[in-house]
Amino acid sequence: MIYLDYAATTPVDPSVAAVITEAMANAHTLANPSAVHLAGRQSAALSEAGVETVASLLGCAARDLILTSGATEADNLAIQGVARWRADRGRHLVTSRTEHKAVTDVFSKLEREGFTVSWLTPDANGLIQIDAVREVLRDDTQLVSIMHVNNETGVIQDIAGIGEMLRERDILFHVDAAQSVGKLDIDLESLPVDLMSIAAHKFYGPKGIGALYVADRPGCQLEPLFYGGGQQRGRRPGTLPVPLILGFAKAAEIAMERMTDDLKHVTGLHDRLLTGLQQSAGLHVNSHPQSHYPGILNVSIDAVEGESLLLGMEPVCVATGSACNSRNQEPSYVLRALGLSDAQAQSAVRFSFGRFTTEQDIDAAIDAHVTSVARLRALKPRA
Amino acid sequence: MMNDPYSSVVRRLFANPKHGGVVDGGVVVRRQASDVDIELSAAMQGEILKTVRFRAYGCPHVLAASEALCEAVEGHPRAVLASFGIHGLAQELGVPVEKTGRLLILEDALRALNFALDGRNV
Repeated sequence: MIYLDYAATTPVDPSVAAVITEAMANAHTLANPSAVHLAGRQSAALSEAGVETVASLLGCAARDLILTSGATEADNLAIQGVARWRADRGRHLVTSRTEHKAVTDVFSKLEREGFTVSWLTPDANGLIQIDAVREVLRDDTQLVSIMHVNNETGVIQDIAGIGEMLRERDILFHVDAAQSVGKLDIDLESLPVDLMSIAAHKFYGPKGIGALYVADRPGCQLEPLFYGGGQQRGRRPGTLPVPLILGFAKAAEIAMERMTDDLKHVTGLHDRLLTGLQQSAGLHVNSHPQSHYPGILNVSIDAVEGESLLLGMEPVCVATGSACNSRNQEPSYVLRALGLSDAQAQSAVRFSFGRFTTEQDIDAAIDAHVTSVARLRALKPRA
Repeated sequence: MMNDPYSSVVRRLFANPKHGGVVDGGVVVRRQASDVDIELSAAMQGEILKTVRFRAYGCPHVLAASEALCEAVEGHPRAVLASFGIHGLAQELGVPVEKTGRLLILEDALRALNFALDGRNV
C-alpha cells in the first residue's frame, strides 16, 4: 500500500507514538489533572507543559488555547460560540464556499437559526480576494471565517491581508488552519487572527485532540458548546486527555524542528509528481500556481471517470474529495466553486504527502495514474 | 474488507475486462447519460452471438456490469439478449441502489443491440 492521503490524516510520527504509549502506562499521567492531590498535580503539570509546547508552535500564549477533540470541534466552538456570544450586536456572518464541511455545515445551521451568512466564491485559482470580503461586510457583521490552506486544493489564502482589513473594522476573524499548522510557519503574535482551529493528526500527532486559539483581546469571547466540570475556564469542560496532550506536544516539537526540511521535502515530491503525471494528455492542476501548499496536488484529467480512476490506481491510496465526503461520489463542491465542470471535478484526484513519503512512493503513484488513465481511455467509446 | 464499496466480483471484472473493445465489422450500438457512456458491439454466427464486446465510460460498477453482460451472453443464442435480466446482474454484483440508473443505460444498450441485430437479420 502506498499512502498518499496525508491531507485526510497523517501517519503518527513514531516518536509521538512512543510518547503516548509511555504516557498511557505512566503513573504521572494516570490522574485527572483537575484533581488537587499529588497525582493530579503531577498530571496537570505535564499537561500544562504540553500545551505550552503547542503554543510555541503557534506563537501564542498557552492560556489562549482551548483543547478540543480536533479541528471539527474547534470550528464549531469558534463559529457557533462567537455567533451566539455576539448575536445581540449583529447576526451577519461571512465565509467562503470552499471551506471544509466542518465550517460550511456550521454556517448552514446558523442560517437556519436566523443568522445571515454571506458565502464568498473564490476566483478561478481558488483565492478569496480581500476586496471580495470587504464588499460583503456590513455594520452588523460579527465574524468572518476563511481557511488557511484548502484541504482539497492546497490553495493558501492571504489570511494576513484579510485579517488586517477586518481588524480595522473590529470584526472577528476565524481561520481553520488544520492543513497548515505544523507545516507552514504561523506566528499568532503578529498575525491578525482572532480564532484559529488546529488538529494534531494533520501534522503527525494523534487523532482525537486539537485546539482552538482564542485571542486575548476585547470582544473576542465565545459561548461554550458544552457545560459541566469547569475545565479550561469553562470554555470547554471535560477531563483533559493527558497522553494525547503529550503526543500533541511532541508532534508540535518535531514540527518546529523539521518544518523547513519537511517543506523542502514535499516541494521536491510535488514537482516530481506533477512532472510525472503530465505524461498523460489533458491534465489540469486544480490550485493556485503560486499560492499553494506543495504537500497537496489536486489534478483533473480529461475523458476519465474519477471513481474508476481511483479503483484502477489501487493500492495507491489517494482521495477524490475530502475524506469526510469521499464515499459520496458527487463532484466536489470545492472544485465546482472553482468553476470546474461536473466531469472535471469528478475526475479529480487529490494526492497529499509528507514527511514519510519517498520518491519511490511518488514514482509508483505516477505509474498507477498514468497506467490507469491509459487503460480507461482505451475502454471509453470513441467520440 | 469493511466499507469496501466493491464486491469481489466487481473487483475481478473491473481488473480484467476480457470483453473490452469493439467487434470489427460487427453491429455497434451506443447509449449515453450524463455520467455513463456504453457501447456494445456483436458479431453473429448463425443465431449464435459469436463475439460480444463493450466500451464504456463510467464508474467501476458500470464497467464490471458491462463485462459481466458480455461474458454472460457471448456464445449463446441471440434470444438470450431478450431474457437477460439487469436487475439480477445488479444483485449479483452488489450494485448500490443509487447507481441503479446507470445500469438502466446498460439495459437500454442491450435492447438496442437486440433490435439492431434484428435489423441486420431482416
